Amino acid sequence: MATLYKTAQSEFMDVDDVIEEKESRNKIKNRVLMVASRGITFRQRHLLNDLEALLPHTKKEAKIESKQDMELLNELAEIQNCNSVFYFEARKHQDLFMWISRAPSGPSVKFLVQNIHTMDELKMTGNCLKGSRPVLSFDATFDSEPYLQLLKEMLTQTFGVPKGARKSKPFFDHVFTFSVVDNRIWFRNYQISEKNAETGGDVPKNTTPTLIEIGPRFVLNPIRIFEGSFGGPTLYENPRYISPNAVRAAVRAQGSAKYVRRVAEAQEREARVQAEPLPVDPLKDVFD
Amino acid sequence: MSDDEHTYEESLMGEEEETALEIAALQSKDLLPQPKKEFAYHREALSALRGEISQGKLSWIQRCDITSTTPVVVDKAEDDLDRELKFYQQGIEAVILAKQKIQKAGAPFSRPDDYFAEMVKSDTHMAKIRQRLLSQQKGIQNSEEAKKQRELRKYGKQIQQEKLKEREDRKKAALDKIATIKKRLRSGDMGDNDGFEIDVDSEDDAHTQSASGKRGKDNRHVPGKKRQLKNDKFGFGGKKRGMKRNTAESTDDMSTFNVKRNKSAGFGGSSKKSKVTRPGKARRQRGR
Repeated sequence: MATLYKTAQSEFMDVDDVIEEKESRNKIKNRVLMVASRGITFRQRHLLNDLEALLPHTKKEAKIESKQDMELLNELAEIQNCNSVFYFEARKHQDLFMWISRAPSGPSVKFLVQNIHTMDELKMTGNCLKGSRPVLSFDATFDSEPYLQLLKEMLTQTFGVPKGARKSKPFFDHVFTFSVVDNRIWFRNYQISEKNAETGGDVPKNTTPTLIEIGPRFVLNPIRIFEGSFGGPTLYENPRYISPNAVRAAVRAQGSAKYVRRVAEAQEREARVQAEPLPVDPLKDVFD
Repeated sequence: MSDDEHTYEESLMGEEEETALEIAALQSKDLLPQPKKEFAYHREALSALRGEISQGKLSWIQRCDITSTTPVVVDKAEDDLDRELKFYQQGIEAVILAKQKIQKAGAPFSRPDDYFAEMVKSDTHMAKIRQRLLSQQKGIQNSEEAKKQRELRKYGKQIQQEKLKEREDRKKAALDKIATIKKRLRSGDMGDNDGFEIDVDSEDDAHTQSASGKRGKDNRHVPGKKRQLKNDKFGFGGKKRGMKRNTAESTDDMSTFNVKRNKSAGFGGSSKKSKVTRPGKARRQRGR
């Protein structure tokens, strides 16, 4: 009897209902694990906190000790029921590397994070609901190269808040923009303001909204794309990437150029003096 | 992998450069850091992987991603203003498109006014931001006010000078008038004597003689106007000797004297006021 009832009901169901049911079945359960390594600086930690506040579908884990054993992260993701991982790897208490990985089978990307500005800065005057969904805005450049297309897909899946995610609000009051400039990915977060900027009053409908920056800001410089999660064969390697260590070494070398030159000059002089000794003075012993 | 898989390096540099690099590497053995020769870029694998992980069958409202119609092109990444403007344009385009799409999908876009929830930035933080904005605005206002005041002062000085000049001119004109009247009187032209002239004359030398009986030292030869002008021009204007000496008048002139300044420490006044004053004689003797 119950089955009969069910079939009867399904026959009379609206098309909309069918679509809705289908959607709920296909709902994305994207959850992101957010982990930092040890040795992270305060600014980098604040960036992490900002991202956690903006993305309600993330789960923050305690800092992990080892930088070698990254297989551990896949296990952690499985335990936490997450299908993506943000891993913030701090090096030398100054450089921040960000891994975005789809656990457990990959792919994964390693970025260098540069130009970090957190939400705490007073210059960014926007604000948004905690847990509201963002509009993700991508630069058209993302469609030009295969590796950028892959990055776009991964960023969409990790930075997009899935519909109906826990702790999320159903409204759209901010937009994340990802732009490719100078071979890097620049991230910005703006509030969508539909009020009058001066008075705070209502504006007539269909006027274009204004954007007010909320923060944080950062720039992702891609280094490598791996086929697996935190490892596996390299699919893409950025030929323009210069590691921050190399940059610092170059700066130091530039600074030491003066010293190197002076040492070389001193050595040259010594060699010259030895090669051409002074002639012996014939009158040297006249008064002895 | 297929045939058209090639390294990124090959597309970047020509054959000649490659051979030159090889020769250099052979000569230097491993003394110099050898330039990296191969950068992996497996386009097909990347594209395939993207297809594998994409959640494209889900409806748009689950993803909420918008790709800009035109790629973001920034000439110089260091140019903050230009770069941020481009990002803003990308964001606003995405917001307008997303709003249409979201409303079409039947999902709420903007937050209703009576919907209150926790925000990403706390109230105290927003108060700080507001305070900063206000103080900034005040600073601008203050500086503008000061600028205006400075200008006014400059202008006021001009006005004062003009006024002084005008006063002087008026005085001069009046004196001239008196002089001409006197001259006319002296020359004995009494024909058209009116009340004003009598008034001036009687005021001028009331204590000497009556207007009709003017004789003696006042009646000496006066040079003509042309002669007077020439005298002024060529230096026959009276005595030059002793002009810089003090006179009784200049000694008596106390207009520049300032008590306050005279009593200041630098001018021989006592640096601090004596608090204990000497009592009068009677009181002193009474105290014995």
